[in-house]
Amino acid sequence: MSDPILQVENFSGGFLSKTGEMTRILHDVSYTLERGRITAVVGETGSGKSVTALSVLGLQAPTFRRLSGRILFDGTDLTAIGPKELRALRGSRISMVFQDARAALNPVFSIGQQLADTYRLHHGGSRRAAMAQAVDALRRVHIPEPERRARQYPHEFSGGMAQRAMIAMAALICTPELLILDEPTTGLDVTTQAEIMDLVLDLARARNLTVCLITHDLGVVAETCDHVVVMNRGVVAETGPTERIFTAPRDAYTKRLLGASQLAEAAE
Amino acid sequence: MRTYPKDYPIVQIRNLHKLFPVGRGQNLHAIDGVDFDLRPGKTLALVGESGSGKSTVARCIVRLIEPSSGDVVLHGNSILPLTSLQMARQYRQLQMVFQDPNASLNPRMTVRKVLEEPLKLHLDMSAGTRASRLRELIEMVGLTAAHLDRYPHELSGGQRQRVGIARALAINPEVVLLDEPTASLDVSVRGQILDLLKRLQSELNLAFLFISHDLQVVRHVADEVAVMYLGRIVEQGPTEEIFRHPRHPYTQALISAAPVAQWGVERHRVRLAGEISTPVDPPAACRLAGRCPIEQPVCSRRDMPLQEIGPDHRVACPFAVQALLDRKTG
Repeated sequence: MSDPILQVENFSGGFLSKTGEMTRILHDVSYTLERGRITAVVGETGSGKSVTALSVLGLQAPTFRRLSGRILFDGTDLTAIGPKELRALRGSRISMVFQDARAALNPVFSIGQQLADTYRLHHGGSRRAAMAQAVDALRRVHIPEPERRARQYPHEFSGGMAQRAMIAMAALICTPELLILDEPTTGLDVTTQAEIMDLVLDLARARNLTVCLITHDLGVVAETCDHVVVMNRGVVAETGPTERIFTAPRDAYTKRLLGASQLAEAAE
Repeated sequence: MRTYPKDYPIVQIRNLHKLFPVGRGQNLHAIDGVDFDLRPGKTLALVGESGSGKSTVARCIVRLIEPSSGDVVLHGNSILPLTSLQMARQYRQLQMVFQDPNASLNPRMTVRKVLEEPLKLHLDMSAGTRASRLRELIEMVGLTAAHLDRYPHELSGGQRQRVGIARALAINPEVVLLDEPTASLDVSVRGQILDLLKRLQSELNLAFLFISHDLQVVRHVADEVAVMYLGRIVEQGPTEEIFRHPRHPYTQALISAAPVAQWGVERHRVRLAGEISTPVDPPAACRLAGRCPIEQPVCSRRDMPLQEIGPDHRVACPFAVQALLDRKTG
């Protein structure tokens, strides 16, 4: 049974240079995120995987121009609504986690303060109640000594710890229906990476979240995702259930990407 | 190509230590007693997570960082007492390839200038010989003479890393230290660079020290693997042995955490408790104490030295060794 939460339909766009030249980077991109599913959007640098996702939130670079197509979220065309309506969706119904959590957090406010402010923005209530929520959220993403940690600043957090805090903000403080993760574990150590993905999975299952995982790491995809969208040079190369993509890829690029990702296995 | 007896250790690292003072009389033990050899035509991979000290080891070998104690021996002679002028001559044999070719190539130099520099510094060549050497070099790494007049920003990430490799090989070194050479590359390009490195290694009989946190890459390229944790090697052995039968709990946790890009692979995760402990004045104890799933009281009371458990296979965990013996006798 199909129950799409997000539909990207024939989405095309490009970057406008200073001289007015248009470089098309997305060509009729179409894919669907089904409610409650974990979908991976995979591709290499320049495949357009991040630009498409950022367009969902209206966070694309200022020089990006949409040429055609639309993005439907729960039936609403996100490309047709104004910034105010979009802002109302961001955080409350769709939220996003970026690659470098320490860069995404504000360096001059404590972690707890940032979580608490976000909580009040979305849910209101007193400062004290918001801080209690912040500490509770940190505890639920397995940050030890959450009361003490909440008083610390982003530079006092390790990369993995900061990413946990970001996930706490994006998935627990905000209570979205759709969580977009853009390379959430890139740059983290493998053991930390595995813990972060476990956490994302637990949260997604417990809250029936729809998750869109943007990544270049097919290893992470094989283990965590239900569905895969493969992008290459601004085109969707192939979409399908994870098992089918990995066991019987149809597109030549998907086959190449899988081969390249399986280095050691192929050598045996 | 120079030939050596089998297993000739071209580089020997002995009991290497590097301390960084962090104030109040305290020291950060970045490298805490590391030994290994590099052999012609062979790749030793140094794996471990950030902060394990693997890059510091490479930097100590070429003396970009001065080791605190221990020895670095090249062709049987210690290079640590050498003056910087004498050291410069050693770079004929010892070269390095860095992780980020964006940062390690001068943006204001064309590829030609980048590659010419080591030739001018180290070799007394006529302009004509140099020109033909440049062409040979650029073709050796799979680029064309047309690339010589480009600037780094005009090249793709993979092409830039090829230039980084060409620069390291320009003066025919025998030992190349590769610090995360593919970490900034896309997977399809990563494969090409690894194939290039393997080809060049067998053609030129190069000894590689390959530093990486990417276990898949390591399994693909390395003959031998040394696993580092908090400045120490906790396990070392032949690559397939380490991947198929990791013995140290940290190696097991590391390998079992690395995702495999295949459907239906069951992983038996070995999980560590908590976070990595501090490298500032660590106690005489196993570095994994406090996180280890098979920890015993003694683990936090004394250092755990590497013990031989098989051909060229060493593990710094007496309990892993004991478990292995029990299985063999039982």
